[in-house]
Amino acid sequence: MSSSVISVISRFLEEYNSSTSTKLKVVDAYLLYILLTGALQFLYCLLVGTFPFNSFLSGFISCVGSFILAVCLRIQINPQNKAEFLSTSPERAFADFLFAHTVLHLVAINFVG
Amino acid sequence: MRCRYTGMETMWSLVSLLVFVLALEAQALTPSHYLVASDVDRLQAVLSQPFTDLKSAYFSVVGLSKLGVSVADSNDACSFIKANVDSSSIEALFYAAEASQAISSCEIHVSNETRDSLHAAVSEDSTVSQIHQAVSALSSLGLPLASQEVVSALKARISKEDNVVAITLALQTASRLSQQAELGEILEEIEDLAARLDDLGGVYLQFEEGLEATALFVSAAYALSDHVDMEPPLKEDQVIQLVNSIFSKKSWDSLSEAFSVASAAAALSNNRFHKPVVVSAVGPATVSHSHPLLQLHVTDVLCQPLSSANVLVESATSVASKAAILSQTPFTLRDGIFELNFMASKPASGYYQFSVAVTGDSRLVANHVELKVKVSTKVAINNMDLSVVDKDQSIGTKTTRVEYPNKGKASFIADSHQNFAMTFQLVDETTGVELTPHQTFVRLHNQKTGQEVVFVAEPDSKNLYKFELDTAERKTEFDSISGTYALYLMVGDATLENPVLWNVADVVLKFPDEEAPSTVQSKNLYVPKPEIQHLFREPEKRPPTVLSNTFTALVLSPFLLLLILWFKLGANISNFSFSPSSVLFHVGHAAMLGLMYVYWTHLNMFQTLKYLAIIGSLTFLAGNRMLAQKAVKRYSLHHL
Repeated sequence: MSSSVISVISRFLEEYNSSTSTKLKVVDAYLLYILLTGALQFLYCLLVGTFPFNSFLSGFISCVGSFILAVCLRIQINPQNKAEFLSTSPERAFADFLFAHTVLHLVAINFVG
Repeated sequence: MRCRYTGMETMWSLVSLLVFVLALEAQALTPSHYLVASDVDRLQAVLSQPFTDLKSAYFSVVGLSKLGVSVADSNDACSFIKANVDSSSIEALFYAAEASQAISSCEIHVSNETRDSLHAAVSEDSTVSQIHQAVSALSSLGLPLASQEVVSALKARISKEDNVVAITLALQTASRLSQQAELGEILEEIEDLAARLDDLGGVYLQFEEGLEATALFVSAAYALSDHVDMEPPLKEDQVIQLVNSIFSKKSWDSLSEAFSVASAAAALSNNRFHKPVVVSAVGPATVSHSHPLLQLHVTDVLCQPLSSANVLVESATSVASKAAILSQTPFTLRDGIFELNFMASKPASGYYQFSVAVTGDSRLVANHVELKVKVSTKVAINNMDLSVVDKDQSIGTKTTRVEYPNKGKASFIADSHQNFAMTFQLVDETTGVELTPHQTFVRLHNQKTGQEVVFVAEPDSKNLYKFELDTAERKTEFDSISGTYALYLMVGDATLENPVLWNVADVVLKFPDEEAPSTVQSKNLYVPKPEIQHLFREPEKRPPTVLSNTFTALVLSPFLLLLILWFKLGANISNFSFSPSSVLFHVGHAAMLGLMYVYWTHLNMFQTLKYLAIIGSLTFLAGNRMLAQKAVKRYSLHHL
């Protein structure tokens, strides 16, 4: 059982390394970073309790929001998805990404106290 | 089917009629405001003031005559009137004529011209007041007048001057006319005016124009009704309400007001139809063995006793036991006061509801009166036995009898193993009947400390009063202070003439533990209370600084990981074009992130939005240009 899981994972990693373009890998690294940051924040909250709750929420939601926006960016700049995003150029996707982030950061900073 | 329906209907109508009749009976009104002898004297004094002018002479002379009193110096008054009459003024002639008629052997002579001017005043062009004055002057002077002309003039004026005062004067005028004249329409005005009276709380009935208008209406209505010998359309309750309104004021602002009250009082005490009766007790309505007579004033509204009336107690029932003591017992008249020896029926002490009826004249109004009479008595204390009883009953009780008003010679000692007991009987001094007064208290007073404790003595089923003091049980009331207490018995009741405060004996009480201080502090409620310290909100528990610092470092560490990964992937900025738009874009973007930090530390939302708008628009324009350039480059690259 465990050997099949390991083999699946190693197969997946091989496929990933070969078929994904560098650009997308850069975005994936960024996604991993956001994920780790959010997970560590959540762990801290579990350890010491939710005071002050607004700060925790702000940080955590900022991570979640960033993750989602980055996923959107990745989807939109992936050339394999070009058929679904005919009107959206990668530059446009990136501009949307930046604008959404501005709004997200404004809200998060407002809420963190 | 039809029979059953009509049967139900008649039953309901009978029931409602019965309820209605009962309701009516229950509401028989009696005067709550009336003139007493001192008020009548005061009214007379007001009217006896020296005259200042003809008008005040008229009010005084005629007012006093209505009260049945003649003016002080009639010759003086007569010459005053004759000197001040002005033959050219209808009003002056009116005052002079009326006043001179009230004074015996005072006659005023008028010339033919004056008489003609008086006749001329009776027309549709004069006001009702002028017609009234002219007609009254002519009538008082004994001169002939044409009644029918007056009637038609009055009718015309009433329709034009539709106010209370004018119609009252019209009624007064009509009462001076010949009985053959057609006074029917003017008579109907009484009913119309009565409808305009305001009912205040079911007690008062008066015009909004005030007391004077109401009083003048009453005297005019009765004057006209007597003249035509037709009962005025006023119900009995309305008459009593009018009495309440007119006689509620016991001091009068002006001579005219006093005059109006006097003429209303005269009208109500002496007319052919309604005679309100005022029944009041002489002093408090209390009888006792020393004062066995119940005395009543039964008078008319002018406080004159109704000597010809028969005053009867229809029933006298005890309030407590509802037993009837008297029935159909007459009062006897003596010196203008009606008396009844109630103690002769040997009533027990308490309150009695008397229903008194005044008969003998068909005109009497409000002649059924309810009265509450109190029978008081003197109390005697019998068989006052004091004893100290041992709790376990091993030692026999030693009972000492004390006679009122003496004090027990020896003190009684009671400690925690003993009870102190007291029994006595309260009886009526004369009849020996047992009494249960409202207040029977036993008071223990510590002479040294000033402390006093009061207990209630309760009667048992045989009306024997018992009081027991369990020293151990009651120590909290005494604050466990041992010592000599003076024992008092307090007896009181509304029906007792001799309330009792009797120092029966001294009692020495010994309490088991005496921890209280020797001087007792009177329980002062008004000393400052202990201060309440405000408890500020406790701050929340924070985790130890080490832990939070560790996690801060931990949370920032994925950034390092990101940089490492990017480096490994070969991400670089070698393609960075130093065009002005890209530089501006990056600077602007960095500024926006810096603004976020500044927002967190210093600014509020409004300022931030302001700066963000400026920086954001710059960044947007620069970014737009930069990305467009990038797109062009990419496009050209791909489509080569």
